[in-house]
Amino acid sequence: MGMKLLLEKAHVEGIRHFEAYRREGGYRSVEKALKEMSPETIVEEVKKSGLRGRGGAGFPAGMKWSFIAKPEGVPRHLVCNADESEPGTFKDRYLMEFLPHLLLEGLIVSSYALGSHATYIYIRGEYAWIATILETAIAEAKANGMLGNNILGSGFDCEIYVHRGAGAYICGEETALIESLEGKRGNPRIKPPFPAIQGVWMRPTVVNNVETLAAVVPIIIMGGEEYAKIGVGKSTGTKLISACGNINTPGVYEIDMTISVEEFIYSDEYCGGIANGKRLKACIPGGSSVPILPANLLLKTAKGETRYMNYESLSDGGFVSGSMMGSGGFIVLDEDQCIVKNTYTLARFYRHESCGQCSPCREGTGWMEKILWRLENGEGKESDIDLLWDIQRRIEGNTICPLGDAAAWPVAAAIRHFRDEFEWHVREPQEAKRRNYGLAHYADPIHVPVAG
Amino acid sequence: MIKFSENDLAKVQEIVAHYPDGKQKSALLPVLHMAQDTFGGWLSTETMDYVASLLQIEPIEVYEVATFYSMYHLKPVGKYVFEVCQTGPCMLRGCDDIIQYITQTLGIRAGETTADGLFTLKTVECLGACGYAPMMQLGKYYREHLTKEKVDAIIAECRKTAAELN
Repeated sequence: MGMKLLLEKAHVEGIRHFEAYRREGGYRSVEKALKEMSPETIVEEVKKSGLRGRGGAGFPAGMKWSFIAKPEGVPRHLVCNADESEPGTFKDRYLMEFLPHLLLEGLIVSSYALGSHATYIYIRGEYAWIATILETAIAEAKANGMLGNNILGSGFDCEIYVHRGAGAYICGEETALIESLEGKRGNPRIKPPFPAIQGVWMRPTVVNNVETLAAVVPIIIMGGEEYAKIGVGKSTGTKLISACGNINTPGVYEIDMTISVEEFIYSDEYCGGIANGKRLKACIPGGSSVPILPANLLLKTAKGETRYMNYESLSDGGFVSGSMMGSGGFIVLDEDQCIVKNTYTLARFYRHESCGQCSPCREGTGWMEKILWRLENGEGKESDIDLLWDIQRRIEGNTICPLGDAAAWPVAAAIRHFRDEFEWHVREPQEAKRRNYGLAHYADPIHVPVAG
Repeated sequence: MIKFSENDLAKVQEIVAHYPDGKQKSALLPVLHMAQDTFGGWLSTETMDYVASLLQIEPIEVYEVATFYSMYHLKPVGKYVFEVCQTGPCMLRGCDDIIQYITQTLGIRAGETTADGLFTLKTVECLGACGYAPMMQLGKYYREHLTKEKVDAIIAECRKTAAELN
């Protein structure tokens, strides 16, 4: 069994409520932080822990915290990003649904470290019942002196508010989230100024993912240095992976980042292998935005080394032969899946979610969707494949926010690794409607003997 | 003239109080959710104008927000809205078959409402339930691991509830 720092108590009866959570040792980090530590030492511990942002970008959390401006007389805010919307990702939902007090505990300690007296949880609107769970937990924490004025006699005041979004992937981008929190359309802001200087209501703001803030709890309990010993290299601590697609046991798994991709997919402790006795074809290991990898490059790097479930190993080979850890949304495709169709549904997603501010993204996502639709439906031309490649190149890096990149990368990787399947759709449109392309040379060389 | 009840108005004030003085516009998304739930399941111009007056902002500030977010309905919908996810991970687990089955069973395409005003079918993009696919949102909750049998049961359940309410 892997080490569990976050989900260990997820199935304890009643853990969703304060009493059971407290009885199981909850809120110790609040006691320790508020009674024994200064805000600066907490920031130092988080820096020492090596904790990287769990939302997708992987930016060091302690460093992000240290950027927050502290102008005299201006309130600062911590905002928890619970706008989980990256296809393949459902880990924050799990954490909030089963362990709402763990998130609150991390939020209280982090609010103290950053000097936030009004902290917001921006939760995606569709998670309506989870917003209720969080509000109940907040009321319980307040009734037990963990929120409100003078928490545990420390002199620190803090309120936490739940703010529901209303259906917009883009609001997971921190400046769009801030705009949305201000009651506006979720159009990302041009940076600089960064939120740490001018965020919500032009006040210094830190936006962190749910899992990142929950991870502050074990960091405070065990100390940053001890936390940093878990994992490998710059992938410290544990990571929540939400596994889905054609596997036997989809779900949310907490891993320490030393296990191999192969173990994660085939071990009964995790995904339990490919469903229905099928064979592995491809995988998008970190949420729909990261490059898809064929089985052969997923399990081993281009150099033939074992690939592991951590930030460095998943990105080994760059975009030529690697991918990214991203948000930990692990999407597995079996041999019956069509890469063109999968790429089409993702392109449709990004077209739907583009905020429309930047032309390359607004227009480009629409064209990618249209071209992929006609390729999938047997109406594509040979030149469409190069056209798609050209469009994604012109989106990447040319937009205010990373949604443009997020839309471009899945298309680029699909063409890079599966070009023959795209060409087959053009050459044999009738055949492509009748059957799937199959495994071809993408097969996982460890488990599948490939002829020729 | 539409109007929130005294209880709901107190709730609006409570939401406004979550944000700094003078930043009551921040309450717009939550208050729009309340308004949609209260006034017929969608946002008419009258409803949006009312929300603008409550928050002391211009109506255009409400319209531009209401048109941006996918959860706000700008035209009437059925009593029960089936919002079926169609993004990649759900597609891999067969959401196309579920959408087709609902289309056949209810005789409506995505975006349409049944003649009796009971059901609306919508296809939506990723709702964060990829491990429990195929799935749909129905009101406040998710219905997951959908099969044709489960869809039948959900439709029957909705019809039963609606009949009881009448």
